[in-house]
Amino acid sequence: MITGGLDLGAGTVKGVLLEDGRRILATASLPSRGIPVQAARQVVDELGETANIAPAEVDYLCTTGFGRYMIPERNLQVSDFTSSARGAVFLFPKTHLVVDVGTQASRTMSISETGKVLKFKMNEKCAAGAGRFVERCSKYLQVPLEEMGPKALASQHPKLISSVCAVLAETEIINNVAEGVPLSDILMGVFLSLSQRAYSLMRYVGIQPEVTLVGGLVRDVGMVKALRDTVGMEVNVAPDAYYAAALGSAILGHSRLLKLRETPSDTGG
Amino acid sequence: MSGVVAGVDIGSTTAKCVVLGDDSRILGKSLSVVGIDIVKDAERALEAALADAHLSRSDVAFITGTGYGRYKVYFGQLVVTEISCHARGASFLFPGTRLVVDIGGQDTKAIRINEKGEVVDFAMNDKCAAGTGRFLDVCANALGYDVSEIGPLSLQARRAVKVTSTCTVFAESEVTSYVSRGKDPKDILAGLHASIANRTLSLMQRVGVEPEITFTGGVSQNQGMVRALHQRLGAPVNVSPLSQYLGALGAALHGRERLSGGAS
Repeated sequence: MITGGLDLGAGTVKGVLLEDGRRILATASLPSRGIPVQAARQVVDELGETANIAPAEVDYLCTTGFGRYMIPERNLQVSDFTSSARGAVFLFPKTHLVVDVGTQASRTMSISETGKVLKFKMNEKCAAGAGRFVERCSKYLQVPLEEMGPKALASQHPKLISSVCAVLAETEIINNVAEGVPLSDILMGVFLSLSQRAYSLMRYVGIQPEVTLVGGLVRDVGMVKALRDTVGMEVNVAPDAYYAAALGSAILGHSRLLKLRETPSDTGG
Repeated sequence: MSGVVAGVDIGSTTAKCVVLGDDSRILGKSLSVVGIDIVKDAERALEAALADAHLSRSDVAFITGTGYGRYKVYFGQLVVTEISCHARGASFLFPGTRLVVDIGGQDTKAIRINEKGEVVDFAMNDKCAAGTGRFLDVCANALGYDVSEIGPLSLQARRAVKVTSTCTVFAESEVTSYVSRGKDPKDILAGLHASIANRTLSLMQRVGVEPEITFTGGVSQNQGMVRALHQRLGAPVNVSPLSQYLGALGAALHGRERLSGGAS
């Protein structure tokens, strides 16, 4: 049984092809560029090519993310909280707290012993708590996005940012550059600032190990280090955690399909 | 003894200075952009206002500093918060003022005052660029305009486009996406001004909305913002070409009181 999961996020569209709810056959991602539907089509094509599976062989498609209603051929859609939590628990079964830091929003969910979401908290109103903040810093500091994290790791004395607004922080950061603060310290300050925002969300739902980081920022070594330092405990990361929401929706699609096949007379969706 | 006093208001974005004569008439004023060397900027602001008044430094009996950079006005004899100064300046210019709305480059304040121009209560947003001049600045840039152009343009809107993002960064992308969808920039600008008016109103409600309302700070010079506030409040707001100088004017007035031995 093959299920597909598509996460139509604000910054990136991510996709996963899953066999029997367990085995990842392919992952793919593309920038949304404001037209997530178009990116989603390309992601689907890429997944099929990688796994060598024709579209007709995909038994069930489940979407998530802010653009989850944009794909007419979907069989099911689930909220970002549910999918991202499911993906995190699949990767790290002992997860009790999921932190999902994305381009446009960050969210955190506490997870029960049975893998259910207990409590959640989200910031989608303010860029200072999202990957967008790092993107902006990358632009005006003229450091390519993928170099931000590795460069930050060299920091000896991170320069903390006092502004809690991404726009006001810009002035502060530029002043720091003018004052000759080392770039690595400025960059680590950016990640710490983002981590502190995530930390206050995490405290709201309750911090309990294991903590798993997922979403767009999980690939950023600067973010991972900053979050571990801020929370003061180990934080699970994995390459596939980048696809956690897409993975989770593929898993949830699989469970739904199993149920549907058990009760063929049930036409409810 | 000469009774000439000066007030220097060092804001986040601009420095303002007002030189006041014996009869509390404005003899000279200056407005300049603030750079990295605030101490020097403060000096320059005073020099420019003195030049405007055809006076020299020795003619000034008392100097008061205010604004976010008030502690950098080293040549002054007194430092007063910009909240007291805007209250005082607004009350001087419009004696009926009971609520001052100060929208500056980087923060917004609502100040409720009594008939003597004293502060009764205030609320302020200095944590977030949304609802401040900075928000307009960023959005003007995103649309390819100078911030001075956007107020008048917004007045020509036919149907304001609703801007839903609160965050300046998200509003910037929202604005860009409206442009790519073919919306008229004038309509988008009207929506942006309305969005700030909304945010300002909630700040005002925290201290109580009571007429007369006087609009001060750099953004008060934006006609689009004046109209947006008027529409949102359903009542006119006092505004004058001097509105941007009210912090400096208030500082000078506080200095005059101190000079004449009164309480300040």
